[in-house]
Amino acid sequence: MIPLSWYLALSAVLFTIGVVGVIIKRNVISMFMCIELMLNAVNLTFVAFSSYFGDVTGQLFVFIVMTVAAAEAAVGLGIVIAIFRNRESLDVDDASVLRL
Amino acid sequence: MFNLSDYLPIVLMFIVAIGFAAGNVLLSQLVGQHKATRTKTMPYECGKDPVGNAHERFSVKFYLIAMIFILFDIELIFLIPWAVVFKSFATAGRDLGTLIYVEMMLFVALLLVGYVYIIRKGLFDWGERARLEAEAEGRALAETEARRRAMQAATTARAA
Amino acid sequence: MNLSFAIPLSAPDVNFRLLLPELILSVTGVVVMLVDAFTGRSQRRATATLSLAGLAATAWATLWLWPSAQGADTRAWGGMIVLDPMRLSFTLVFLIVAALTVLISAIWVEWEGLPAGEFHTLLLFATVGMMLMASGNDLVMIFLGLEILSIATYVMAGFRKNDLRSNESSLKYFILGSFSSAFLLYGIALVYGATAHEVSAQPQASGALAQHVILAGTTNISAIAERVNDGLYPPLLFAGAAMLMIGFGFKIASAPFHVWTPDVYEGAPTPVTAFMAAGPKAAGFAAFMRVFLLAFPFVAASGQMRSTGAQLHDAWLGALWILAVLTMTVGNVVALVQTNVKRMLAYSSIAHAGYALVGFVAAGAADSAHQTDAVAAVVFYLLAYAVMNLGAFAVVTLIARSGDRRTDIEDYRGIGFDSPALSLTLSLFLLSLLGVPLTAGFMGKVMVFSQALGEGYKWLVVIGVLNTAISVYYYLGLIVVMFFRERTTEWRAPRIPTTLAVVLVLTVAGVIYLGLFPGRVINAFRAVQPIAVSSLR
Repeated sequence: MIPLSWYLALSAVLFTIGVVGVIIKRNVISMFMCIELMLNAVNLTFVAFSSYFGDVTGQLFVFIVMTVAAAEAAVGLGIVIAIFRNRESLDVDDASVLRL
Repeated sequence: MFNLSDYLPIVLMFIVAIGFAAGNVLLSQLVGQHKATRTKTMPYECGKDPVGNAHERFSVKFYLIAMIFILFDIELIFLIPWAVVFKSFATAGRDLGTLIYVEMMLFVALLLVGYVYIIRKGLFDWGERARLEAEAEGRALAETEARRRAMQAATTARAA
Repeated sequence: MNLSFAIPLSAPDVNFRLLLPELILSVTGVVVMLVDAFTGRSQRRATATLSLAGLAATAWATLWLWPSAQGADTRAWGGMIVLDPMRLSFTLVFLIVAALTVLISAIWVEWEGLPAGEFHTLLLFATVGMMLMASGNDLVMIFLGLEILSIATYVMAGFRKNDLRSNESSLKYFILGSFSSAFLLYGIALVYGATAHEVSAQPQASGALAQHVILAGTTNISAIAERVNDGLYPPLLFAGAAMLMIGFGFKIASAPFHVWTPDVYEGAPTPVTAFMAAGPKAAGFAAFMRVFLLAFPFVAASGQMRSTGAQLHDAWLGALWILAVLTMTVGNVVALVQTNVKRMLAYSSIAHAGYALVGFVAAGAADSAHQTDAVAAVVFYLLAYAVMNLGAFAVVTLIARSGDRRTDIEDYRGIGFDSPALSLTLSLFLLSLLGVPLTAGFMGKVMVFSQALGEGYKWLVVIGVLNTAISVYYYLGLIVVMFFRERTTEWRAPRIPTTLAVVLVLTVAGVIYLGLFPGRVINAFRAVQPIAVSSLR
């Protein structure tokens, strides 16, 4: 049997990849995909714990996270479409009417 | 417990499936005749003659449909576990059947409200509106094309 | 792999009474949505009236629940929903914010021809999300409330679809908002794993009598508090708490997690900015305080070895202290150099989150008897901030005109004597934000700082007062610009529409009332039964 810590390490690595991706990527869609990666790393943590414990609560949480991620995806892509209509670029460096 | 040999049937199924597909292609390569006519070398598009370029831009309404689909689709993950455990909750010991039935119906009713809302907002109305949108999109495309041409002309003029 | 999962035996204690405010508001939201779909754009007033009626009914239900906040059955839905003074007082703050936002936005949607029904629906759902954040006694519930709030707010920030600034504001809010949600979620997952405990459960197969022992983590706040000392993986608990702190830190816009705030607040339509600065921030505080005060509570030292719970408490309190100092200082110092009023108010809102964090630190250090007082002080501070902030943004909305065109400090030059009503009320709100005596802001600061002093945080209070001194410069600077600078360009005083007049009257009255008679409000928040409520029963 694969020990729990392996799953936790894997999900921590995935989460970190997601965080780094959001910080260094300049394209909105890529950033968005990195956020999804972070959410799925969390899902992996939940499922690993849940399966290891034999407790169903963690898996229920994963359902909720998936639903929320879908809603976020819909809204996020809607925002991206709105930006794309007003300006033909998805590079966040171009999104600088407001200075940072 | 995890036991690799339990997965043997699945592996066998993969092998058979891949073998079947690859075998048929190979067989037709080996035994079949090869006469390349114009119709045969055309890209296959469900039996219709291909029109235009494949790298066409899709209308935004397809995106909207896809988005709505995702939203309604994901709700299924609540329905299926509910259906699975419904019986064990409705048995005499717990007697929660009515409650969880009503709650799920409420959930479905809320989804229905969302559905009615998007219909009323004209998301599926592709008649008049779609035509207007397509015309507007065509105009916008022509405009950008004209601008690009003008810019090109300007650069060539400057180069000359 | 353990593939046989056990279903928990506990009965879902259904109690609709406890959830009444949230239910009323959700139903109102759905009704507003349907009314909007079936009447079309002509019925702008209808949805606003309906929303206000729903908010009023919700407020009534909240007041009706108030006396039972300390009774016997204050938990329901499997311990997911809790009824306590903290929840109810925060709920009232949210309702006030939502109602004032409906009124402020009435003029704005008319100017710009925006779909009012959609805006009201989103606003109501966002409010439901905030209320769930305050009432959830389970990390799952808090996360769901947060997402309901955030997703609605992302859309509201980008509500002016054809304006690039609004789009960008929405995009930045969305990216950083979901980024922080992911941190929060990871924190929840780690806490869930770290609090694993042996529980007995029945296998799912009906009829099987054999109980077997399984491990189970928990996301219930009360259960976490019981298990902090003997969870299976204490290091994970620390990591989880840190992640939760990052997530909530983003939501309440505390430094160093504040970078999104100025851009988002500047680009979003002004009424939405008003809402975001007052509502979601308060909701973030509600969830932040509930999780950290109740799930990772103060543990009295006992014996030689300090328990995990005590170590955790020290760690998060120390981190929060630093967060409070950074937030106050960064907010005030950067606000000094702003040239745009909305950006200035954004940095001011960061600074105010810092002052509220001072009260939070005091609540964290207090024992349970004093904790209610400190929490009540923080809620009072957030209420005062909400009222004066919404008032200030109402004036900014009116001066900015459609499209948010005039929001630079230059645009306020010399308008003081042309439209005295507007500039005098704005001055009052600025003075209150600064914390001049006899205003709500002053009382709020006094309460928060006195709680901190009571717990022995001298330096924190000193830094807070120094920061207030810094903030004199930019608040008074705007007043000076309005009254003592010559107007160089032509300016026409805007006519004040009825709805906005109502908002201004209400907020001015609120600022003065909270500044002069804070006693009744603060007593109600401490859950001494308010007189108005007992006569209502």
